[in-house]
Amino acid sequence: MLSLRFHGRGGQGAKVASRILGTAAFLEGFYVQDFPLYGAERRGAPITAFAHISEDPIMERGVISDPDMVVVMDETLLQDTRAKPLSGLRKNGVILINTSRTPEEVTADHGVEAQVVTLDMTKMSLTMLGEPILSTPAGAAAARIVGIGEESLKEAVENVLAGILSEGEELDENVKLALSVFLAVTPLDITTVEALPEASPVIIVPFEPAHISSPTINALGNSPLRKTGNWRVFRPVWNREVCTKCMACLARCPDGCISLDEEGFPCVDYENCKGCLICVRVCPAEGIERVREAQVL
Amino acid sequence: MTREMLTGNAAAAWGVRLAEVDYVPVYPITPQTEIIETLAEWISDGMMDARLVTMDSEHSMITAAGAASATGARAFTATSSQGLLYGFEMIYTVAGWRVPLVMVNVSRGLSSPLTLEPDHNDVLAIRDSGFLQIHCETCQEVLDSIILAYRLAEDERVLLPVMVNMDGFYLSFTREPVEIPNPEEVREFLPPYRPKHAFFMASQPMAQGVAVLGGSAYSYFKYQMHLASLKALEVYGEICAEFEREFRRGYGPVEGYMLEDAEYALVMVGSFSTLGKKAVKRARDRGIRAGLLKLRLLRPFPEADLRRALEGKRAVAVLDQNISVGKGGILYSEVASCLCNSKKRPVLLSFIGGLGGKNISPHEFEFLFEKMIEAFEQGTLNGPHLLYTEQEWEEMSLLKRTAEKEGAA
Repeated sequence: MLSLRFHGRGGQGAKVASRILGTAAFLEGFYVQDFPLYGAERRGAPITAFAHISEDPIMERGVISDPDMVVVMDETLLQDTRAKPLSGLRKNGVILINTSRTPEEVTADHGVEAQVVTLDMTKMSLTMLGEPILSTPAGAAAARIVGIGEESLKEAVENVLAGILSEGEELDENVKLALSVFLAVTPLDITTVEALPEASPVIIVPFEPAHISSPTINALGNSPLRKTGNWRVFRPVWNREVCTKCMACLARCPDGCISLDEEGFPCVDYENCKGCLICVRVCPAEGIERVREAQVL
Repeated sequence: MTREMLTGNAAAAWGVRLAEVDYVPVYPITPQTEIIETLAEWISDGMMDARLVTMDSEHSMITAAGAASATGARAFTATSSQGLLYGFEMIYTVAGWRVPLVMVNVSRGLSSPLTLEPDHNDVLAIRDSGFLQIHCETCQEVLDSIILAYRLAEDERVLLPVMVNMDGFYLSFTREPVEIPNPEEVREFLPPYRPKHAFFMASQPMAQGVAVLGGSAYSYFKYQMHLASLKALEVYGEICAEFEREFRRGYGPVEGYMLEDAEYALVMVGSFSTLGKKAVKRARDRGIRAGLLKLRLLRPFPEADLRRALEGKRAVAVLDQNISVGKGGILYSEVASCLCNSKKRPVLLSFIGGLGGKNISPHEFEFLFEKMIEAFEQGTLNGPHLLYTEQEWEEMSLLKRTAEKEGAA
């Protein structure tokens, strides 16, 4: 059995990627189980999705804590202390990362012991779809790496996306993208060693008084400590020559990240702006440009 | 017949579509909403000939569904957790009407604290209402159980509503291969509902859900519900045999896994049973004669099957994915009541695990088998025992510190 875990941000397509892989493996005749995990997540928040592929009936439920392969659809998640995308990866497992960097650079940076595959999925999606939506490239790359055939992949992309996309043209673009990803990566031998996690003993839970054991939070609000600026693929950049100070962007920002500077021009809190780009869309003067984050840095 | 990758929710929607339901009053709630969204899409696209109405609450929704059932329409609705509790009053009422409504509950832990992930306190809250309860482990079981549920509910000997339960996320959002039977075959197994039982019609005024002051009438009606529920065990057996002949999938009121020659048996319900089965297999590899009993029917409670399956075992552990605060596991008490008069009564242990969807790790299952062996060999019993690891306690301690809980361990 192969167990894969996808890490992405809400809206990038981790769930759909796991379904493309799952359906492709199902079409090849395997037993498959796939499963996304999200709570009350918003666009941009870290989410995970899972897929098991097996020649025998699958006796698993729920999250995969010791995957054979992880697919990291957003490189910034590697630093996320909650998402921990590499945790539990089996020895000799595979890490597929959406990045413009080489496997050697990634390996050196993160000190990982695994087979690292890198692919600039965002660039491929932007070029072929015009949007940084990663479900097709991530699903296709994972399918190729585990050894799924071209026909099954193509059918899976059509099958899974048919229920999501309304235009046939978009579907064709996605199939083309899947096939170019198919050519860009190669299958790998994934023979992993089960990294039996150190068993944590079962304990007897002691009594604690209600001032501790009731679900109240005494600490004052700490959500400002969680910076959400690294969720962006694009950042909005204002062109002051065009801006009429109409404040439409300020009014429509769902996160209250936009304020006015002393001259009355909008300025943005990039530490928290998630890059939803609603401001770009609502600007009547077309004075806000979307700039790819990697190019800003 | 086709075979497709379906979530538990999509499998539920397929069950409803194949049952050719007439009327679907709805109200959304995570993790159930995908069921009613799927039905709404099919009805809107003309792929399903039914009427879907969005209601103002679960209370109205269950009332509407029960009332439609009373007119002789085949009705369906679905809810989860807080929604089920919001409509709770009507659950008892509709069961008392003796109408064959089929509902799906997608289990989710109850507030407070609020959560989205599953345990069974929601569906067990309606345990005593008169609704029959079928609990599912796989997506296939969800689809098939809905078809079985209509046959069971509409049988003249039963005429009680049925709740088909699946776990939120672990089944509702999990895709696995599901066989979708042909509509013609399903129609043959489950013909359109033509009730002989009295029902509302425009030209035939009648009273439904009447008041009965004085306990003797009330006792009569309640006890008749109980007898009908017990009768449903027999009817369920017949229907499942027929279903198996037609569709080659069998569903007993209980299911044994490596149980026959087992010395140590685990009792479970729902999707986590899959993890229990894996743990049984691993225990066998370590030389422990382990087995698992899955309860599919919780109401009516399959007492005789359960007794037959568990008598003579060395020890039995009931793993409850629920907690009756102030008592412990709900099913433990029910299993104990079945076995307490048996001369071949096994030692019985109670464990609580998977509350709010908490994972049950292989190590926790190992612990459970160790405790069973210990109880048999040394006679030591303590519990109910919550399955909770040191690591989870440490993570909880961090949360408590973050919340600035003074004096927390």
